[in-house]
Amino acid sequence: MHTQTCAKYYAANNNFMRNPRQPRLTARFLIPLLFGMQTVVPCYAIEKPYPGPYFENAQLLMILIPHTPEQMAAFYEARGFPKNAIELITETCFITVHIENKGRQVTWLDTANWRLISNNRALAILGTDYWNRKWEEIDLPQANRSTFYWTQLPAVVDLQPDEPVGGNIVLPGTVRDFHLEANFMTGRDQRGEKIQVNFERVACPRQADSQ
Amino acid sequence: MKSRKAPLLMLLLLLFTTPCTATEPLPTGVMRINGRVAPALKLNNIDGEAYDLSTTGGHWRFVHFWASWCGPCRREMPSIQRMIPMLTDSDLEFVIVNTAETEDEVFSFLGIVAPDLVPLMDSDGLVTQVWEPRGLPSTFLVDPSGRIQYLALGGREWDQPSYVAFLRSLK
Repeated sequence: MHTQTCAKYYAANNNFMRNPRQPRLTARFLIPLLFGMQTVVPCYAIEKPYPGPYFENAQLLMILIPHTPEQMAAFYEARGFPKNAIELITETCFITVHIENKGRQVTWLDTANWRLISNNRALAILGTDYWNRKWEEIDLPQANRSTFYWTQLPAVVDLQPDEPVGGNIVLPGTVRDFHLEANFMTGRDQRGEKIQVNFERVACPRQADSQ
Repeated sequence: MKSRKAPLLMLLLLLFTTPCTATEPLPTGVMRINGRVAPALKLNNIDGEAYDLSTTGGHWRFVHFWASWCGPCRREMPSIQRMIPMLTDSDLEFVIVNTAETEDEVFSFLGIVAPDLVPLMDSDGLVTQVWEPRGLPSTFLVDPSGRIQYLALGGREWDQPSYVAFLRSLK
């Protein structure tokens, strides 16, 4: 059911929203982590039935939750975003992504290792730089920028065992559907087995699609 | 003789100057980190009263970042409200920081689920960014010398016995 907005949906079903600009535990944290951490089991893990296309095996869970522009507008309007920001948001395609490292070694989310294709052309995620430029152009208040930032999927995260990550990826609004090949490196040094996940014909829904 | 005592003295010195931290296994989702100095945290609370983390040393601080639109934060907050009275005998101070929301948004949420909490208002979200949590909600445990020793990722039921016992052990 897609009656909730992206971030509301995500927020209601996942462990936590990820910081896109603080992507990794630095090396100075890793050694103490190895000795000191217990498994980071999400206490509020997402549960079946999953709300969108998903991949799941013993190492990884990945779920995509596409949202209509109207759903996204409703969420950000409720957070006090001004009209010109809402217009920019509704021109694009929001997909909420939930990923959990279900394996016993570090798994790297790095969207640079993802390939998105639509109509035989490569797509780029509209990331932090894109949005920062947009927010500068319309002089979006800092509080709104901060809220938007916390709702985005981070570009890079070294997911610890059982650690979830979630947030939105944003694509150009002209995209109707796309293919996603998501590659995840594993191991602390990223030299472990590579996990490849493919999603075919993921839709960027318009409002009519959800009615 | 003097030189043989020196290492022992050094060891004793280390034992008595290292902050006492939990020795039991850590509860689920709590990670030991490497004691980086806590960033500045100077904010007003929702009642307009000033708070400065740097002036509250000498005991452990539970620094928690949240937002009312974040579902796990909403689910977790009542457990924080329930946990705090369970730890009145501990050496822990609770610092609850709202990220980039208005007083109305915070009041309308906390008034229902956790009316006893008086959050600090990071109205523009900039203090939260400096602290660099891996996501919302996030909790940092700051030791009496002002260093972050533990990080709790995501939401959890803080009033469960394992968390309460762990937090009580921080001295």
